[in-house]
Amino acid sequence: MEKLQLIINSIRKGKNLPELEDITPEMNLRSDLEFTSFDLAELTVKIEDEFDVDIFEDGLVNTIGEIIVKLGK
Amino acid sequence: MSKNILVTGCSRGVGLEICRVLLREGYNVYGIARSYTDEFKVLEQEYIGHLFFKSIDLADSGGVRKSVFKEFVTNDILLDGYVNNAAVAYDDIVTNLNIDRLKAMYEVNVFTPMVITKYAIRNMLLHKTRGSIVHISSISVHTGYKGLAMYASSKGAIEAFSKDTAREWGQLGIRSNVVVPGFMATAMSASLTEEQRAKIYARTSLKAATNVGSVAETVAFLLSDKACSITGQNVYVDNGTI
Repeated sequence: MEKLQLIINSIRKGKNLPELEDITPEMNLRSDLEFTSFDLAELTVKIEDEFDVDIFEDGLVNTIGEIIVKLGK
Repeated sequence: MSKNILVTGCSRGVGLEICRVLLREGYNVYGIARSYTDEFKVLEQEYIGHLFFKSIDLADSGGVRKSVFKEFVTNDILLDGYVNNAAVAYDDIVTNLNIDRLKAMYEVNVFTPMVITKYAIRNMLLHKTRGSIVHISSISVHTGYKGLAMYASSKGAIEAFSKDTAREWGQLGIRSNVVVPGFMATAMSASLTEEQRAKIYARTSLKAATNVGSVAETVAFLLSDKACSITGQNVYVDNGTI
């Protein structure tokens, strides 16, 4: 969760958005985190690099909770 | 620091010449091919530490994530460019079309390059690289030849893929272009008779086979920053085919 938060904040920082102090499973990647499809692509490659899991391999992911399930944590 | 380029079909013909030109210009080249040829080994000896090789069957589109991007060009290597050169030809008239042979050709010429593009862009995204992708097509897409309908269709698919890749990823500085060579005197066209060759060359303005070096130099140009404003294009290197 902590590593995921670091990744999310690195992307938000690149977009000049404030870093999040907490992330929760119900947060929506698009509406709450304000991620575009390009940001989600960056999120995917950074998660894959860190965890060796491709979160978009078998369908769309909408929330942080869904990412956590795919990471098996 | 040297830039890193992934080149498929690197062991002979145009692919080997592309490697030679890129190495001369100071790039590091990661070459992929089925066979590890003596010609390639000579080049490897000349550029120790700058030219790398892995034998990979590009008919296995599902396997390239692991074989190429987990075991060869990993995320630790900042990828600046990808040259999609490997291809196989399936020549026959349309009424003889064999679906298994057609599918096998599409694996190598279309599906695997698309999957490699996916992971090449992912590498570029991870490192925020303004990378360049160059696909090698064929003049047969634009000028019809008897027996090449199936092959040309696979290259036409790649041209469309390149155009839309350019549009999709341009805002992140990633470029995608196509080099469209005319007929070259390489192994791929080795099965043609002298008469067939003469007919093909008669259809070009320069009345000759396309120079392999000219094709390779154009690829190197499109990979370089000199081409930083060129994307979504087809560049014809075809002796002015009519």
